[in-house]
Amino acid sequence: MEEFDQVEILLVEDNALDAELTMRGLQNQKLANKITWVKDGEEALDYVFRRGAYADRAEPGPRLILLDLKMPRVGGIEVTRAIKGDERTKRIPIVIMTSSKEESDIIDSYNLGANSYIVKPLDFESLAEVARQAGFYWLAINRAPN
Amino acid sequence: MIPLHASIHRKMLVVMLATAAFALLLTAAAMLYYDLRSFRQLWVTDLTAQADIIGFAATPAIEFEDRQAAADYLESLKGKPSIIAAAIYSANGSQFATYTATGGKAVEFPALPALDGYSVKGNELDLFKRIVSGQEILGTVYIKAQFDIFGRLLNYLGIVGAVMVLSLLASLLIARRMQQKVTQPILEIAGVARTVMDKRDFSSRASKTTEDEIGVLVDAFNGMLAEIEHVIDERKRTQFALEDSESRLLELNAELEQRVEARTAQLAAANKDLEGFSYSVSHDLRAPIRAIGGFAVLLGEDHQTELGEEAKRKISIIRSEAARMGQLIDDLLAFSRLGRKALEPSDLDMAEVANNVYVRLNHADPNRTVDFRLGSMPHAWGDRALFEQVWMNLLSNAIKFSAKKKQPVIEIGGISAENEHVYFVRDNGAGFDSRYQAKLFGVFQRLHREEEFPGTGVGLALVHRIVTRHGGRVWADGKPDEGATFHFSLPKEASDGGV
Repeated sequence: MEEFDQVEILLVEDNALDAELTMRGLQNQKLANKITWVKDGEEALDYVFRRGAYADRAEPGPRLILLDLKMPRVGGIEVTRAIKGDERTKRIPIVIMTSSKEESDIIDSYNLGANSYIVKPLDFESLAEVARQAGFYWLAINRAPN
Repeated sequence: MIPLHASIHRKMLVVMLATAAFALLLTAAAMLYYDLRSFRQLWVTDLTAQADIIGFAATPAIEFEDRQAAADYLESLKGKPSIIAAAIYSANGSQFATYTATGGKAVEFPALPALDGYSVKGNELDLFKRIVSGQEILGTVYIKAQFDIFGRLLNYLGIVGAVMVLSLLASLLIARRMQQKVTQPILEIAGVARTVMDKRDFSSRASKTTEDEIGVLVDAFNGMLAEIEHVIDERKRTQFALEDSESRLLELNAELEQRVEARTAQLAAANKDLEGFSYSVSHDLRAPIRAIGGFAVLLGEDHQTELGEEAKRKISIIRSEAARMGQLIDDLLAFSRLGRKALEPSDLDMAEVANNVYVRLNHADPNRTVDFRLGSMPHAWGDRALFEQVWMNLLSNAIKFSAKKKQPVIEIGGISAENEHVYFVRDNGAGFDSRYQAKLFGVFQRLHREEEFPGTGVGLALVHRIVTRHGGRVWADGKPDEGATFHFSLPKEASDGGV
């Protein structure tokens, strides 16, 4: 039962509509058992490191993080730095999904250890497809260490 | 003669003294000549009288044959040192008595001449005088005398010399006095001229003291000085004005430069603001557009059964319009990014770049049967990614606008002009009305309706911006329904890439 309830994808997205569309795309593909959506970087870090409101959440953590970059308070870059800089969490794949095509954002993300960098497509179908492919790759194809 | 550099003062003095001396010498010579002549005359007369006296006195001695008495008479001539010798001849011509001055040389007495008279030989004078008593010639007195003409001459010359020295001194004094009247004004002009030349002071003036030629000279000289002073003043004033305007020009230049700098900074800031604005606008617009399109999809999917055909049609319009707006924003974003991206120029084989792009475009729709003619093209210096974009936009336009032709023809090529390379893309498509040529390269400017040829109107603006950033130009020719030719040029010398 515990494994069945495991959160497989953590979606970090400050835009509720984008979050809904992304989740809808992922759910349509029946890729993940459970998707958790947090609204900003601070909440994402609380969740990953089991702090604050998420101090009591069940182990283990997410198997994939879909991360927006431009968010209030703590942005995606800082989240990446914190997660990839921590021995306990650095193996969780992080897929940056953002509207930013800024070269500096891309370079910073990869330098900090992000696993993929995806520019959010403009239309829903493409967005759903991109999310599906990212989830499919990191959850089904890619073999992570146990 | 007079040295050339001697002052006019001295020259005049020399002239005056020379004139005076010459006149004096002439006078002295004339006087000397006259004096010598009259002196000799006087002397002959004197000696004749002497001879008469001796003859008269010696008459009794001759009558009585008293030679001793006659000799005594002759001896009385001792008192006359100029008489060297004397003799008394008897009537028959024999010497009766002789006399020779003591210390004098031996004298040879001449024979008695036929007549009385005198003869001069050198400075010696021989004089014969008959002794007549009643009607009878008793004998002849002979006197030989010596002129002391040189002594007299020397004396005379001494006097003349002294007189000349004195009179020259006197004339020197007078000349000095008199010539000052003449030379003073000249010397004054010379002094003023020297001052002018030495000090470059053209304000000095010579004072006019006479109304003669020197006065005219002074007037002319002063006139010239005034003229020169005026000219120099004028020149100085012009120079001052020139310097003044020059410095003002410099000031103005500096001010202008400053203003240009400030404006440039303002412009750069405004440009940056604008780019930042367009970037963030297009960036922030993406999310709502995605939401509009996305939720239209969800609406269609989740409420399929509740919706009629008309509702579905409207939902599809919402979706496609959202997609189009997304494309517009993407294009705008690309356009704004271009302004911020630094150029990375390298040597470009334009034919290769263009052909690759065409192959990629054609790959997307292999069913097209375009007659593609690739001409030769010169290499260029530019940013590869940006020129791929240029060819992409130009070629996709050409494909798009010629697609409705039965046999679309697209021709590309390039030539090297004097300072630039010129490239072109020609198609036989829809073309355009050349009246709207100016609108071709503006952002969001379109010459065709969306239904005819879809597009956002950013492509050519992008081409324009890229080429302009590389220091080149873009232009186009076209005719409706006959086709269009788009040209762009690039400088042969690489440009710095500033916008």
